[in-house]
Amino acid sequence: MSTTGGVLILAPADDGRLHAAFWELVTVGRQLASELGTTMRVVVHGGDAGAVAEARRSGADQVHVAEDARLAEPWPDAHLEALTTLCRELCPSVILMPRTPLGMEVAARLAARLGVGLAPDALTAEVTESGLVCTRPVFGGVARATIRLVRRPWIVVPYRRAFPPAAPTPEAQGELVVVPTRAPGGALRTECGPRTRENDAGPELERARVVVAGGMGLGGPAPFEMLREIADLLGGAVGASRPVCDAGWVSSGLQIGLTGRTVAPEVYIAVGISGAIQHIAGCSSSRAIVAINTDPAAPIFQMSNYGIVGDWKEVLPAFRDALAGR
Amino acid sequence: MMRVVVCIKQTVDPLIPVTSLVVDHDRKRIATTSKVPPVLNGYDEQALEAALRLKDAAPTECEVIALSAGADFDLDVMRMALAVGADDLVLVRDPALDTADPDLVASVLAAAIRHLGGADLVLCGRQASDWDNAQVPLTLAETMPLVACLTLARKVEVREGRVRVERVLGDSIQIMEADLPAVVTVTSELGALRYPRLRDKLLAARRQPRYLTLDALGIHAMTPAAVEVLDLAFVADRRTCEFVTGDDGADAGRRLAGILHDVRLI
Repeated sequence: MSTTGGVLILAPADDGRLHAAFWELVTVGRQLASELGTTMRVVVHGGDAGAVAEARRSGADQVHVAEDARLAEPWPDAHLEALTTLCRELCPSVILMPRTPLGMEVAARLAARLGVGLAPDALTAEVTESGLVCTRPVFGGVARATIRLVRRPWIVVPYRRAFPPAAPTPEAQGELVVVPTRAPGGALRTECGPRTRENDAGPELERARVVVAGGMGLGGPAPFEMLREIADLLGGAVGASRPVCDAGWVSSGLQIGLTGRTVAPEVYIAVGISGAIQHIAGCSSSRAIVAINTDPAAPIFQMSNYGIVGDWKEVLPAFRDALAGR
Repeated sequence: MMRVVVCIKQTVDPLIPVTSLVVDHDRKRIATTSKVPPVLNGYDEQALEAALRLKDAAPTECEVIALSAGADFDLDVMRMALAVGADDLVLVRDPALDTADPDLVASVLAAAIRHLGGADLVLCGRQASDWDNAQVPLTLAETMPLVACLTLARKVEVREGRVRVERVLGDSIQIMEADLPAVVTVTSELGALRYPRLRDKLLAARRQPRYLTLDALGIHAMTPAAVEVLDLAFVADRRTCEFVTGDDGADAGRRLAGILHDVRLI
């Protein structure tokens, strides 16, 4: 195989495990590698043996494992240094990064360092004669831009759930390349402390079949207790709009929207949420959206399959009791 | 004296109805149909608030400069920075800055900061609500020599030449520190920008911003943007809502549960 060019996927692990977005990156990676007639590589940052084994079932020609203790944390400087060094060696044509706070930051800073463009939030990616053409949501998802990256490497951060997750191959395959810790070229400019979990609802929220989300219309933090009861009855999770998180009513880990989590449950129940563009961006892929709001003109109804124009104080207790009595 | 530069940008108000927006296909921009005034980008307001909190903590030892680059400015919007307590407002104005090219904007901001004599701390919103690129602050950090980059801060403190931030990572928080100078991006969890006092608003209305040109910054040749915008279109993504009604709110709530059960959604 050629030693340069190809598609490179960054797979940073979280607590040793690969991020759920990894298999979506593999779908994009396989597609672009096939269109370009080139190889696919994965570089695992901060993963344990299990993560490396998982990455080797992606069908990648090579899996690089960066052995550097600093990569166990989402420490942007550490990941950026490691990836910049690897990119200068491998000269990839395409670099794919996960849409996580770490992935988005490293992508933008790597693009600045390499003097190339970045396609953030890519919904589609197509190789053309004049460059890589991507579409992406802008203006909070109201509009879609078609953009072209000309200079290589093309750096792409696919939007969550825009591409289906790839199926792992039955067996681990591809060459394993262990990249030993390199003497850091000077100390990193930042110091990074350990993470403190504020809540563990996030992963639960992204996997939930039902999400019950509250907005400013709830008037305060107390009503979230009732949302929790309804979520429990339906085996679901509780989410919130950005203003609610900014006001500190619930932890910011519950935020759904452009700057929070992207969810796609079977049922999304929005209570007291007006449906600002930036919120819809995080739930528009839900199979059914149900809205409860006092304002019949609230934009959320245009995005909903079922709606009640009414006060949650009247609607919700009866809704909960009906669910409980079934 | 610590100098804090806050990078701000005026944007289309993200809370106006979609029906007030139009696509300008020639310029590949989103514009408003009527004279809807722009707003300060929300995240930039929060960056400004972070700067003012630092100034609150050490009023005589901290200077706050608001800086923006653009083709045209709504002065009522930009003067908000002065009204809430920024010491100075600096605007780099040039028709070429009607752009979504993060590299160009970052290089102009870096040149302006240099022109102003440098900064100990540069605060930026995490992203702008129009293009949502989230690239300018990061590119700026990579462009400025010997500058640390810290991101997604909900709390920013400076002590003895070091900056310490609480970084928001979805469900966890991480403490990051660095020696100044540094670029820090601020996330919405930091909290809203304070309201100006009426008196300060009136005083700010009489103050003039300081204008800079690309010429004065020594920026002449522009490299073609690394990302070309080929097309921009609205997304027609709507659903048909079946409104559930009843004798009262409680009845509607019970009926909703029944419907969702009948169509096997729950």
